[in-house]
Amino acid sequence: MKTTLRGSRVLRTALLAGAAGLCIAGGAQAADPMVKACAKDGQFVIGFSQANNAEPYRQHVNDELTAAAKEVPGFTLQIADGAGNVNTQTSQVDNFITQKVDLLLISPFEAAPLTPAVKRAMDAGIPVIELDRKTVGEPGKDYTAFIGGDNFKIAEEAGKFTATKLLPDGGEAAVLEGLPSSTPAVERLNGFKEGVKANAKIQIVAEQAADWVPDKAQTAFAAMLQAHPDIKVLYASNDMMAAGALLAAKGAGKDVKIIGTDGLPGPAGGIEAVAKGDWAATFTYPTGAKEAIEMSKKILLDCATSVEPTVTVDTTAITAENAKQLMGK
Amino acid sequence: MSDQKISVAASPAGSSPAAQVTAAPKHRVDPLAIVVRFQSLIGLVLVAIGGVIFSPRRHGEILFLNPDNIANIVRAVSETGIIAIGMTFVIITAGIDLSVGAVLGLSAVVTATMMISGGFGLIPTILAVLVMGVVFGIVQGTISTRFRLEPFIVTLAGLQAARGLALIVSGNQYINISYGDGPGLAPPVFAVLGERLFDNTVPVATIVFIIFAAIATLVLNTTRFGRYVYAVGGNERAARISGVPVSMVKIAVYAITGFASALAGIVHAGQFNFGSANDGMGYELTAIAAVVIGGTSLFGGAGSMVGTVAGTIMLGALANILQLNNITPATQLLATAAIIVLAAVLQSLVRRREGLGR
Repeated sequence: MKTTLRGSRVLRTALLAGAAGLCIAGGAQAADPMVKACAKDGQFVIGFSQANNAEPYRQHVNDELTAAAKEVPGFTLQIADGAGNVNTQTSQVDNFITQKVDLLLISPFEAAPLTPAVKRAMDAGIPVIELDRKTVGEPGKDYTAFIGGDNFKIAEEAGKFTATKLLPDGGEAAVLEGLPSSTPAVERLNGFKEGVKANAKIQIVAEQAADWVPDKAQTAFAAMLQAHPDIKVLYASNDMMAAGALLAAKGAGKDVKIIGTDGLPGPAGGIEAVAKGDWAATFTYPTGAKEAIEMSKKILLDCATSVEPTVTVDTTAITAENAKQLMGK
Repeated sequence: MSDQKISVAASPAGSSPAAQVTAAPKHRVDPLAIVVRFQSLIGLVLVAIGGVIFSPRRHGEILFLNPDNIANIVRAVSETGIIAIGMTFVIITAGIDLSVGAVLGLSAVVTATMMISGGFGLIPTILAVLVMGVVFGIVQGTISTRFRLEPFIVTLAGLQAARGLALIVSGNQYINISYGDGPGLAPPVFAVLGERLFDNTVPVATIVFIIFAAIATLVLNTTRFGRYVYAVGGNERAARISGVPVSMVKIAVYAITGFASALAGIVHAGQFNFGSANDGMGYELTAIAAVVIGGTSLFGGAGSMVGTVAGTIMLGALANILQLNNITPATQLLATAAIIVLAAVLQSLVRRREGLGR
């Protein structure tokens, strides 16, 4: 690690000189590249400040990023786990700044608390790509770019899907919320409610927080079914909670249409659950990992002078129709 | 727990003037006891040396010793450090306070709510939050002493209560603090908690931590109250017999942890412009780890504030050097575990040598 760091400096200086020479030779001095030390075949360290490795979705992001970074010769990816704590995450970003990483990727655990740390990175001349969650400010100005899905919109899609496809004639629905007062939990809850409004005959009879985890979801949904035996649809704010809710529905002998969120791949993921017919649907929350590494390549290797400030990766509705063909992906 | 306690007279790990209650004169100094007394300082020095040796270098500069890096280390531990200082008082009395992290969250939420939607000024907000923390501690201490309940149980309930209250106050939403002049905005001076003073070197959060540590050290080492704290933890019955107001002292130490948690919550809100009911989760365990590594015994009667501060910074420095070298969080957890066990084993050896059989 250390050697690559040190080696990369020397190499980069040499390359920089070469690149500068090329630039002048080309005579095209339209705009400076975003990173002065960029070079086609340089060695670069990318620091990724992850919000919380304990969440399966985030582990999935780490895996995809690691795989995408491996494809690029010259990229070294360092992942720091903020462990769901804004203080820890702030200090890790500061560590990356101390190390002078060439580019910072970050999924801030919460927006406002990580904003000053992101500003410090930008001030130190490190480009910052925000993944999945934003800090306060404008992409392209306060940080380089945002790549991610839109929690509110994804949940709203699930709400519309419920209103038109699952319960066209109305009925009772319930919601399992993530960790109360966390940004994605609030956005997904509000988004789903907004989407369901498309059908006035649907009532949301119960909302409970299950902190993103399956065991709490099972307990909460079992209690909901006791209180409201006629619940027809359950919206779970992530796949893990949907899995817990399914156990509760089976235990109560009820046929409830369950919707997950995230659409994780793999044997315990949401795509398989829909393919097996256990859930009605899950709405993917794309990681944006490929896009993030692509953009890093543009900045560090291709000497881009600017990048797209906002890249929204769209959700895919995974339903009985398409789940089987998406399983292998 | 304390029924078979013999005097922890000239206790090794804490300069305990109070222990004269049942003094057993010691003629020789146990070298191991000296080590235990300064174990966290020794640990801090060792981690620092390790940090220098294993630090990545850039242009010959040792990154670990880079002033920005040092500032980052001491900033990151400020909140848990403030809590650990309060926790030291409680643990010396052989108690424990599990509610501290949750009270930090509650305090951050109340701070944000009062200034943003309540329209209160900075000073009234800070005073109200500190009073709230103290009252929270007094209630816990009173329940514990009045009904003879284990503090572990009472403060476990306190943890749940504080998280619940925080969710109620915040309406299950997180509260961003924006600055400016007018309704719904906090006074810009509050944001100073996230900045650095003295030519942008020393984080303000760290300054709060250091001042609080200094005051706490004075209280513990030079006041009658400090002697009482050691006496209650060393031998409660003996302390009661010799006229120490045991219940009052116990209630007071929980008031101190309540105050410390509230102070940490205010620092948190100011540093991160934010209040959420989830803030400070798990801080109680980090604080207990720092106190134990600092040489304070969970059996009570012995401990030192300087040790706690060194233990806190040591854990922060350890996390920092591991990340600078891109070593996984798993290793960090295992290293912390090893250090806690080592600290506890050292203490236990000293106790055994003194014939305390524990």
